[in-house]
Amino acid sequence: MIESTIKYTPFFLLGCVLIVSLVVGLLTRQHDKGGYGIQVHSIGHAKIGAAIASNWMSAASFLGIAGVFFLHGYFAFAYILGWTGGYVLLLVLMGSQIRRFGKYTAPDFVEARYDSSVARVFSAVIAVVISLIYCVAQYKGIGLIFAWMFGIEYTQALIFGILVTFAFLMVADAIKASRNQQMHYLILILSFIIPLMMIAKKLGYNWLVPQFSYGSALRDLPTQVSSDYLYPWTFGTPYEWIALCFTLMVGTAGLPHVLSRFYTAPNNRDARWGVVWGLFFIGLLYWSAPAFGAFARSWMTTSGMVLDPVEALALADIIVIKTAEWVGLNEILVSVLAIGGILAAISTITGLLVTGAGTISYDIYYRLINPNANERHLRLVAKGATLVLALLVLVIAVNPPGLIAQITAVAFALAGNTLFPVFLLGIWWDRANKYGAIAGMLVGSVITFAPILFGHLSPTLRAVLPPTSSALIGAPLVILTMIIVSRLTPPPPEHLRRFLVEKVHSP
Amino acid sequence: MPQTNGQDPLKREDLRINFFRPRPGFMRKEVTIIWITLAAWAIMTFGMPIHLAMIHSDPVRTLAEVPYIFGIPAYFWYSGQFLILWFIFLCFFFNVLIDWLNSSYRRRR
Repeated sequence: MIESTIKYTPFFLLGCVLIVSLVVGLLTRQHDKGGYGIQVHSIGHAKIGAAIASNWMSAASFLGIAGVFFLHGYFAFAYILGWTGGYVLLLVLMGSQIRRFGKYTAPDFVEARYDSSVARVFSAVIAVVISLIYCVAQYKGIGLIFAWMFGIEYTQALIFGILVTFAFLMVADAIKASRNQQMHYLILILSFIIPLMMIAKKLGYNWLVPQFSYGSALRDLPTQVSSDYLYPWTFGTPYEWIALCFTLMVGTAGLPHVLSRFYTAPNNRDARWGVVWGLFFIGLLYWSAPAFGAFARSWMTTSGMVLDPVEALALADIIVIKTAEWVGLNEILVSVLAIGGILAAISTITGLLVTGAGTISYDIYYRLINPNANERHLRLVAKGATLVLALLVLVIAVNPPGLIAQITAVAFALAGNTLFPVFLLGIWWDRANKYGAIAGMLVGSVITFAPILFGHLSPTLRAVLPPTSSALIGAPLVILTMIIVSRLTPPPPEHLRRFLVEKVHSP
Repeated sequence: MPQTNGQDPLKREDLRINFFRPRPGFMRKEVTIIWITLAAWAIMTFGMPIHLAMIHSDPVRTLAEVPYIFGIPAYFWYSGQFLILWFIFLCFFFNVLIDWLNSSYRRRR
């Protein structure tokens, strides 16, 4: 769907927002430098929560969920609940224990707990692949929005979007601007909810709480539409719903970048209470997201617009912006939505590419290939790795294999099938050893990628293990593998088990 | 006289950690809290789709028989609005209990 006009308002606004965020980042950094010694002041729990939420909100949350709700109705709640309920799992099962363990990146934890550099490299490769898949979804969002903004083709828009992201990344790196997490969250949530309220107002629904008035929009759908759309299993079986929801939950608990940011809080208790606020802030977005899909459906009914399935699928991932455009919202408000989407994607990409490159240069290159590398050398490798990762992402994102939410879900499936069991057993079972961990990560990777690579050969495989939802069966299987292999091989060294007893499982 | 109460210094120290057989004291209480929260998490999340799948099999009957709130099936509100609140509440509830457990053990030491 190519529109040939260039939209200047969003382009201009985007430039302003990127510059402002760099300036604020710069000011924040100088402020931090001035405050030697008072860095351990108590940060409010709400602030920690806003940082968790801003780190979490990607194009999948900002654009993806509304698209899935627009297409698949009730099925979208599997995404919403998976991506919120996962935090309960993380907090309850592993939060305090991993914090007491004291290693906050996946490779660090794996090497320390399993006493094996081979296991470390496995987990590092998996962490990089997770980042890669995650980035593909973000780039799809950027490509779609730039295509809409400039009225150009998707592939061109994608390349242009990558250039903009890189320019931003390099400038931010050059002036060493740090991201102000709280401001970032505030911008994202306001640029999501204010346009939504205006959409509700335009359509004549209660605009104060669009999170509830979208129910009225669904109620007003004509019967021939709603009998399909409101039925929970029109777009997926109960098994698919449950498998997807479970996969996203265990994936959240195993996702490396969630885990690392989770522990930037000053102490264990602050981190735990930060999650409560974080979940509330994430909830604000997820309570609202389905409303875009519902209002889009409502508008299509009243205006008599009919989309065939292919068109609907093409529009789903920018339905947030399209809805605003359709109902005739002010151009500035439409731009605000587009920029929110781009910001969510860019911030996620920069975070993931930087940590991904760090993992490659340190965990893989330094630890495995060249232990004599010096600091300058490593920084060079990291820069090169960023470029290679970005190119790989570009190659996959040119032909995006699914909706933004679906691509992201595959990253969660991989995390849930590999890192989640390794963390879980590493903490809750002293007998889990390196052989078990390596076998588990191997089996988990096979389970994740088998349905993607061989799904077209066997419909049964695809039905039992949908690519987005393989962890409902995968995670328990990997846990079983780890238990069997660990039992057949010698137990981990005594100092590790003593550490688990005395440090990790004591108050 | 042989030792019978497990205090034999030659006997290997017990370093077992197992979620299903938690060590007495702090860990046992912690695991109990985890079990309660996890049960409340799993039943409320997966109970609704299982319930919807078991009782109703065809669209017409389902949409005729489920309760409605504000004109749309109640499961929309339940999954889309209530459960997120429930997750926030669970985290709150878990934190209160863990805070209480931690402070009671720190006082004892």
